[in-house]
Amino acid sequence: MTRQRQLRTLLSSSSSSARLRRTLNPSNPNLPIEFAAKPPSPSLSSFFSPSPTTYSNNHRLLPGRGLDFLGNRRLSGKIFLSSQSARELDSKCWNCNAAAPFLVCSSCRCIQPVDQSVDYFQIFGLEKKYDIEDQNLDGKYKDWQKKLHPDLVHSKSKKEREYAADQSARVIDAYCTLTKPLSRAIYVLKLEGVNVDEEETISELDLLAEIMEIREAVEEAADSQALNQIQSEMQEKIKHWSNLFANAYRDRNFGEAVTAIRRMTYYERVTEEISDSSRNTRVVDNGFAARMS
Amino acid sequence: MAEPAYTVASDSENTEEEKSSSTFPEIAIGIDIGTSQCSVAVWNGSQVELLKNTRNQKMMRSYVTFKDEVPSGGVSNQLSHEHELLSGAAIFNMKRLIGRVDTDPVVHASRSLPFLVQTMDIGVRPFIAALVNNVWRSTTPEEALAIFLVELRAMAGIQLKRPVRNVVLTIPVSFGRFQLTRIERACAMAGLHVLRLMPEPTAVALLYAQQQQQTAHDNMGSGSEKIGLIFNMGAGYCDVAVTATAGGVSQIRALAGTTIGGEDLLQNMMHHLLPNAETLFSTHGISEIKAIGLLRVATQDAIHKLSFQASVQIDVDLGNGSKINKVLDRQEFEEVNKKVFEKCESLIIQCLHDAKIEVEDVNDVIAVGGCSYIPKVKDLVLNVCKRQELYKGMNPLEAAVSGAALEGAVASGISDPFGNLDLLTIQVTPLAIGIRADGGKFVPIIARNTTMPARKEMTFTTVHDNQTEALIIVYEGEGQQNAEENHLLGYFKIVGIPSAPKGVPEISVCLDIDASNVLRVYASAKHRGPHQKAMPSMEVRMPTVDDGHGWCAEALHRAYGSTSDLVTVQKKI
Repeated sequence: MTRQRQLRTLLSSSSSSARLRRTLNPSNPNLPIEFAAKPPSPSLSSFFSPSPTTYSNNHRLLPGRGLDFLGNRRLSGKIFLSSQSARELDSKCWNCNAAAPFLVCSSCRCIQPVDQSVDYFQIFGLEKKYDIEDQNLDGKYKDWQKKLHPDLVHSKSKKEREYAADQSARVIDAYCTLTKPLSRAIYVLKLEGVNVDEEETISELDLLAEIMEIREAVEEAADSQALNQIQSEMQEKIKHWSNLFANAYRDRNFGEAVTAIRRMTYYERVTEEISDSSRNTRVVDNGFAARMS
Repeated sequence: MAEPAYTVASDSENTEEEKSSSTFPEIAIGIDIGTSQCSVAVWNGSQVELLKNTRNQKMMRSYVTFKDEVPSGGVSNQLSHEHELLSGAAIFNMKRLIGRVDTDPVVHASRSLPFLVQTMDIGVRPFIAALVNNVWRSTTPEEALAIFLVELRAMAGIQLKRPVRNVVLTIPVSFGRFQLTRIERACAMAGLHVLRLMPEPTAVALLYAQQQQQTAHDNMGSGSEKIGLIFNMGAGYCDVAVTATAGGVSQIRALAGTTIGGEDLLQNMMHHLLPNAETLFSTHGISEIKAIGLLRVATQDAIHKLSFQASVQIDVDLGNGSKINKVLDRQEFEEVNKKVFEKCESLIIQCLHDAKIEVEDVNDVIAVGGCSYIPKVKDLVLNVCKRQELYKGMNPLEAAVSGAALEGAVASGISDPFGNLDLLTIQVTPLAIGIRADGGKFVPIIARNTTMPARKEMTFTTVHDNQTEALIIVYEGEGQQNAEENHLLGYFKIVGIPSAPKGVPEISVCLDIDASNVLRVYASAKHRGPHQKAMPSMEVRMPTVDDGHGWCAEALHRAYGSTSDLVTVQKKI
């Protein structure tokens, strides 16, 4: 295998998650995802423009279900706006008219339509920052699901069941995004208006060289112990760059922050790859019975 | 001819309808249809109660006999003797046969059962038949299951003094979506409406969640998160789940399952005791059926005894001149079934790995199902999980059905003043779903163990210059490299891809699993620029395949070759 090939494999393998995230992110301006049936998606500028074109209090930013499958209800963060500034102050519960309902109305407990201007941190009642490791994310996630999960609202109206499906899916997105350091880092930058292009080519030569070295080490690893060793080295590196990211983000040095994200992305890929390759003991449902007899 | 015991419903009956919408909630019952035994439970207003049949049994044998004009099942029927089950007239192990094609190794292994399982090996539904008055009367696994469910439904109706319609059924983790449609079909034939199909260990996980919540209440504690590993091995299937539970919410972290169980242990032992059993049985003559039946009963009996004693004496006269007299000990039993036990171990390891949980972080290890009584099974679970003892407080045979009954009550919108139904299961996809691309490979779009509901999209491109059509062939499986090794769910064609060099057009494929576990596949060719006339996108609800889908993929390949193939969009360097 040539070095070029190796590098290509390293970069392309297990990159499906990154690719998915890319295509799932309609705020990425590089990606013209437009479908015939899709209503014009409001852009940041139009959101601030006074002309009330595509949405009103009732419609908000919730795109319709059905044909509109790419500009989708489950897509995380159609519009990223920081905090309360964008929250419609005069919003009311669709059911009881009580003021300022959140995901669920506090007075009538009705599930509200998704309000994309509520960011993931707000959903979990967190301050918008990178270091949230010690917060009880899991508990809050479960609390929300007990209020929002579609399995629990079957006796409600069709409308509210749809809201439940949307809200519940968004809370899952929020939970997944905030749980993992890398996706959380990308998300906090997004909230600052900085989009990280994960498809971008690597130009840093030292990183290229390092990736190839790691790649070789993985291929030459004699046993699972050696792989575990590499695995923990990667974890160390991720941690290191995660700390650098935290500092850069705090100092609002976004260039530095993006560099840190790029590093974390590659180390993350290596660990994914190792853990995939160590799965040779996988169990496959291929009719064990017949072969044994 | 007597009236058929089941009502014929259209396929759409159980699918098109709203999954649940009733002004007056009827509490759905939980049913655990096991490969060998079946049980029914219901929330009685304060707790889960298992229903008993007229003979006061909570566990009913899963079989249907075609002895007389009207077939009867194991719910009501009283077997005069165990051997009656093995006379050729009874169909059992329906759960191992349903929704499988005749090339499936599990179906092949079923050919040594004492009724007729015929395979043509062409990828169609196997032919199964019961012996009635020296005639092989054909039936199908769905029909046999429906007849059994009709009896269950009647029994539950009498016990509950109300008609029963809504059910929550437990299913094996390894069941594909096509198999689920067959289960739903059997339920529809029996007049049952499926509220939910729940992977067995997730039903156990829900019971665990409830027990943990009660404990937390009793201790006035906040109820911190607990990680439970559930190992469930019955007669037909072995499943593992890792759940993270707090406050009555069971978040499934990972599932793993395969088609091994007590039936394999039994068949291996029969083969061990009588190495030429298969050749002996291949003719399916009446005396052979009787012989294999005798061997089956004797072996089963010996395996049961070995769970409680170190060795067992087997004496059986097969009636055709061959007699088996042998002392069998545990060690020999464990050696013969070494591979089964190894597979159980690897299943647990895989599930922990997929859940990204270290074994030390598991709070409770729960082993349920009939096989959990086998000492070797207990040992291997404890061993892999590095434990001294298993979780206590669950009846291994009743855990799954109890969980299904809890889910039935929750899904029916019942609430409990003491908060005992303040429960929720957050499920994950047991199998990966994706399409065939990159030269016959399976490219997962929704990975295994993705939280449901889920929606994922991926972009593909063409392999030929000016390729205007693309076949979208959707598969589901554990992610085997080769697409054909997975289960085919359906296929359709994208047309009107703008003419362009290969690799340029973008074809997006989006998979959506909604809250009712319905899978929809959306696909469309992307068009750049305002002057291109856009083609409508496709929306296909899957599975679309029917019986006999085994040869569809091959036929498609023959018709299209690689002319309509796709590849994943490669990362640029």
